[in-house]
Amino acid sequence: MLGVSLRSLLSHKLRLALTTIAVILGVSFVAGTFILTDTINATFTSIFNAANAGVAVTVHGRPIAGDTGGIGGGQNHPVPTSLLSTVRSVPGVKNAVGNIFRPGATLIGNNGKPIGGNGPPTFGANWIADSAISPYHLRSGTPPQQANDVVVDAGTASKNGLVVGQTLAIVFAGGVEQHFNISGIAGYGSSDNLAGATIALFTEPTAEQVLDGQGKYDSILVSADNGVTDVVLRERLAKALPSYAVAETGQAAAAAAEQSTQATISTFIGTPLLVFAFISLFVGSFLIINTFNILVAQRTRELALLRALGATRAQVMVSVLVEAALTGVVASILGFFVGILIARALLSLFGTAASTAVTLLPRTFIIAVLVGTIVTVIAATLPARRATRIAPVAALAEALPETQELPRRRIVIGVVIFVLGCAALAAGLFVSSGSRLQLIGAGFLGVFLGVALLAPVLVVPVATALGWPVRHLRGAAGLLAGENARRNPRRTALTAAALMIGLALVTCVAVLTDSVRVSTNNAIEGAFRADFIVFEQGPDFNTQAADALRQDPALTDVTEVRGTSVLIGGSSQSIAGIDPANLASVLTLNMISGSASTITSTNTAIVDSTLATAAGVREGDTVTFNFPQGATVRIRVGGIYTANALVSGYMVSLATMLPNVPAARDSLVLANAAAGTSTTQAERALHQDVKAFPLLMAMSRAEYRSFVGASLDSFLNLIYTLLAFAIIIAVLGIANTLILSVLERTREIGVLRALGMTRSQTRSMVRWESVIISLLGAVLGLSVGLGLGVAVSASLHDLGITQVAVPGLNLILYAIVAGVFGVVAAIFPTIRASRIDILRAITTE
Amino acid sequence: MEVTTTSTPAAVSEALPGAARTTDAVKVYGRGDAMVRALDGVTVTFAKGQFSAIMGPSGSGKSTLLHCLAGLDRLTSGTVHIGEVELGSLGDRQLTLLRRLRVGFIFQSFNLVPTLSAYDNIVLPLTIAGRKPDAAALAEIVRITGLGDRLKHRPNQLSGGQQQRVAAARALASQPEIIFADEPTGNLDSRASGDLLDFLRHAVSELGQTIIMVTHDPLAAAHADRVVFLADGRVVSEMHGPTADSVLDVMRHLGE
Repeated sequence: MLGVSLRSLLSHKLRLALTTIAVILGVSFVAGTFILTDTINATFTSIFNAANAGVAVTVHGRPIAGDTGGIGGGQNHPVPTSLLSTVRSVPGVKNAVGNIFRPGATLIGNNGKPIGGNGPPTFGANWIADSAISPYHLRSGTPPQQANDVVVDAGTASKNGLVVGQTLAIVFAGGVEQHFNISGIAGYGSSDNLAGATIALFTEPTAEQVLDGQGKYDSILVSADNGVTDVVLRERLAKALPSYAVAETGQAAAAAAEQSTQATISTFIGTPLLVFAFISLFVGSFLIINTFNILVAQRTRELALLRALGATRAQVMVSVLVEAALTGVVASILGFFVGILIARALLSLFGTAASTAVTLLPRTFIIAVLVGTIVTVIAATLPARRATRIAPVAALAEALPETQELPRRRIVIGVVIFVLGCAALAAGLFVSSGSRLQLIGAGFLGVFLGVALLAPVLVVPVATALGWPVRHLRGAAGLLAGENARRNPRRTALTAAALMIGLALVTCVAVLTDSVRVSTNNAIEGAFRADFIVFEQGPDFNTQAADALRQDPALTDVTEVRGTSVLIGGSSQSIAGIDPANLASVLTLNMISGSASTITSTNTAIVDSTLATAAGVREGDTVTFNFPQGATVRIRVGGIYTANALVSGYMVSLATMLPNVPAARDSLVLANAAAGTSTTQAERALHQDVKAFPLLMAMSRAEYRSFVGASLDSFLNLIYTLLAFAIIIAVLGIANTLILSVLERTREIGVLRALGMTRSQTRSMVRWESVIISLLGAVLGLSVGLGLGVAVSASLHDLGITQVAVPGLNLILYAIVAGVFGVVAAIFPTIRASRIDILRAITTE
Repeated sequence: MEVTTTSTPAAVSEALPGAARTTDAVKVYGRGDAMVRALDGVTVTFAKGQFSAIMGPSGSGKSTLLHCLAGLDRLTSGTVHIGEVELGSLGDRQLTLLRRLRVGFIFQSFNLVPTLSAYDNIVLPLTIAGRKPDAAALAEIVRITGLGDRLKHRPNQLSGGQQQRVAAARALASQPEIIFADEPTGNLDSRASGDLLDFLRHAVSELGQTIIMVTHDPLAAAHADRVVFLADGRVVSEMHGPTADSVLDVMRHLGE
């Protein structure tokens, strides 16, 4: 039987080509994701290892509670510079150096624009002279010696044309430009830089000053005397250190950094990409099911003949499954190689990893082949079961009449799966707090499968409705297109369902983003009373900006909203500090209970209703804030407000916050036009003031609204890109179904041509069938997506999505695009159909 | 009964006004050793308003002749005319339009479109041409084919005889100059064959239709006005007013 499978496989090369492409696309996305994250991880690992190569032991403060880690590891409390002498006095310590290493030193390129933008972090650090310990290796020039000297990393220098001897403007924490002289260029470990991040290195006094590190090191790096192992030295140091400090070996530090980095990359890159990769595979499995279904239908006689010749059901089943497995294996291996190309493309897109070699782990290959083969075999199981039911007499009979009736069992199963999906979705969205994402995922899956199973019921009415205008516009071609779309409802439904999934997800996200947009606009209108807002995209910024704006007579009510995080009952919460005197003139707070003015009293806070409900906090209660620097403050809750577009969580007065945070940082600054100054004049003055702060953005209320809208648009574009694979596969699926249908109807098309149908009419017939299938997919996708989007948006009411909006224009656009996809999918099938040899078609039995 | 075996059949045929004719028609398939001359210089004219049959043993070229006459296949050399139009000079689109407007087909295996009802199948050539059916003519065709109560049925709900009558009605519906029938009774039992041939005979005698039919069944050929016999790609004989017996005699003589 294996021989039969093989021969059948080879004789249907063309028919399997598109299935193979679907598997390749799905698998390549999965493999590409693994290769990408493995490569990024490997890059970081080699960087951390190189950076810690000369470090026997690292001494640092205890981890900042509630810090969740990130690239390079979690943040620790700094240690006082005085600890350095303690460390140096421990026997076995060859040398110990203080290390200051913080984000927030943005280099201004020679074009006047910040280097890096919102991309990789911008670090500032002190130059470490001991080259045995230091991760920085001078490539040219000299180390920083003067207070205004800076050494920049080689990667940043070569990418931005920075050279030794030139002046370089640097902005610290969103402040004003400060000018430095580039004294040298250095590598990081053996690399040009830290995976794309910029590093600016200063003398220690300068670093302390510009990086807000007076009297403090982020860590102390220690080298060991000959004969003293890292582990022994770590133990000695641990005994000598005060309780606030910990020691770990360089190796352990590198490993911890590696682990935290990998977790971060997996959360922000790996997992999201994998989700979309599996969506593509899921859509691909529809294509595979359909292909094998059609192949089995076309091979009815052949399979029945095998049965008549004594093949058992199991043998027939195995022969179809072996065919699927062979296809799956070959396509998966190809998919793995395409995945390498995808990973390379993405890496060059990220622009981070300079390394030319991608990391290929055996695990990736195994997963790729297993996933691709298993999906293909599972998808072929249903058609294989159908193949076993073919009665031996079918070998002698003419082609079986195509069944129009959908078995009741299938309808029942479809309804049950659909209802279960809706239930899981509802539970995930509105009830559960633990396994929300899993439930939501299962819910989506259930809804898609249910609709796909029920879709054949919808094919006849929907295709009839869609076919009506086509019939009137395109005559015989239109009539036949409509009839052909309806003639095999299951085939049409399965083909359309694949497109449905991609469109439903796009629609769902579009509804969600539009709801966010409308809600945010309303919230901005409702909460944002000030004329202007100043902020930096990303981290909080220096207080200099607010001080500068206060000097401007064109502005009044200049009010900073300061942010910091505190620990409340073990979990990290961001809190906002604001001057209560100006609160009412820049923000509108919708108070549910109590009053906003209570924060005028020290150690009093107001809190938003969502957080209050979640934490069970009421007006008049007392909560304990653990500030990151160690202070524990008991705070009275003076009121509850509704969270809005600008502020949420706990809000206190600046007087309450400032004594407990060392380096004050603003999240945003609000201001009004001064009395007697027009808004336009004030805005001009504001822009002039903010020019001195290259990283800050100043906007009017209306500008801020469209700015928020634009970031939603780029999110939507990202989703379109990620779903493009799934949609391409669905379009391939339509092309596949049509090609197989055209081959199946060769004789019929030959007859039509003999009866006087022109080639262009023949193409039109196939094209319109394709458009009808696509539009059926659009009808299903838009309906399902609308339902999902409304449900998801409604469930996020507490996160500020107060209004559910439907982007009508987008939906119309999606339907049109789906129709265009239909035309595109039909290109090859129409060519095939119009080239059919009439004589051969009608004379071949 | 009149049997004429002539070396120049053209002389006889050209005397009548032609609905379709070939001159020195040659059709060669394959190359080298595998070369087959399916038609080897056929010159024949088919008269208007006549029911003509083409007969011959397997491989005699009778189907090829029909396909070339109907514009479904092209000659290697020689000419084919339908009316005054020479088919060799026509492009694919013009040939398609000619088939659509001036020619009707009846195939051995019915070749109805399975998704369309009997009625839609009958008017399909008109639908393809974007023309409205002539209601009176259509009613007459439906009446004589006896399909009145079957018009809404799909082909798979019809018997073989009914399907072939739908195919015949389809061929007549566009009121073509010529109907080509390729073994129309090949898949029918004797009773359905009889019905169909009576219907074709009626279409010629009463409606003035021209029909050219390929068949290997002497009983079918007996319904024709004239039989042209082919062997090895040449016209070897012809007969006017044939009977089943006289046709069978010639066929035996030709070695089938």
